[in-house]
Amino acid sequence: MVTDRTAPVETAALAAEVEGLLEPAEADGVFRDTRECGGALLLAALLLISPPTPRPKTDVR
Amino acid sequence: MAEQTQGAVPLSAVIADAATGVALALRGEGDPYALSAVLRQSDALAPAAIRVLGADVLAPYAMDLPGAPAGGDDAEVVHQALTSFPPGADASEVSVWTYRGLVEASHTLLSASARDWPPPPDAATGWVDADPWPKLSHRVSQLAALALPGLAPGLAEQLTARTDDLARGFVRAVRRRDWLQAAGLGRWLARLPDAPESLGLDSGLAFVRHMGGDDPRVTLHVVAARRFYGRGW
Repeated sequence: MVTDRTAPVETAALAAEVEGLLEPAEADGVFRDTRECGGALLLAALLLISPPTPRPKTDVR
Repeated sequence: MAEQTQGAVPLSAVIADAATGVALALRGEGDPYALSAVLRQSDALAPAAIRVLGADVLAPYAMDLPGAPAGGDDAEVVHQALTSFPPGADASEVSVWTYRGLVEASHTLLSASARDWPPPPDAATGWVDADPWPKLSHRVSQLAALALPGLAPGLAEQLTARTDDLARGFVRAVRRRDWLQAAGLGRWLARLPDAPESLGLDSGLAFVRHMGGDDPRVTLHVVAARRFYGRGW
């Protein structure tokens, strides 16, 4: 797309955009919660080391 | 061949270009800095970009290095920004402070021009003492352009009393991966005299630049901290 730096702009909308850029709301943090990660890791470990589900014996003598 | 459509450059792109130009000048790279070359008067969005970047557009003129002096075209484009986007009656404190910063910087750094600059507006300071530290940190990071030598001395003095809170905010912003906020706070902490040693501000700023350097405004703040206060790597 060709862009034009001299294209006319709508003043009121631009003023509102400027104000918004001057004081934007704080962005949501992007970080990992150590406790949540630890809990997920513990659950995965417990699943891995759990004994297999008991099954009825199938061999008939 | 498909017909190309024509549209205006988004304001964010103009701001990013200008921030890159200022950061390059602060690093001593590229051609001698001229604001009117980075943001030409014919650019419809130049005044808006100057209003958003605030005093930072004049930061290269605050360096103690020989360079191209600010010219009449610079004064013209800054004056246009000040007259086009004054803070309204219901403007936020950040808006008033950034406007004030640009006015102060124009008085100081464009004093050679024959322009009559508007007087700096009164800006409230009650929030500096009253805001809880996360809110204070967010607001101060938005005023990073005022962390230039000699600019807003009263605000800097008041913020000195809350240096520890700003240090907490810096760590919080890094943990939240809010690199723009972290860079702005790091720049202010570089200006304030008593940033705690335990914060590791130098390596912190280097980390912020490494992680958030894709944003030209992050780079600008980190480079300014290095250029004017010798902090960061």
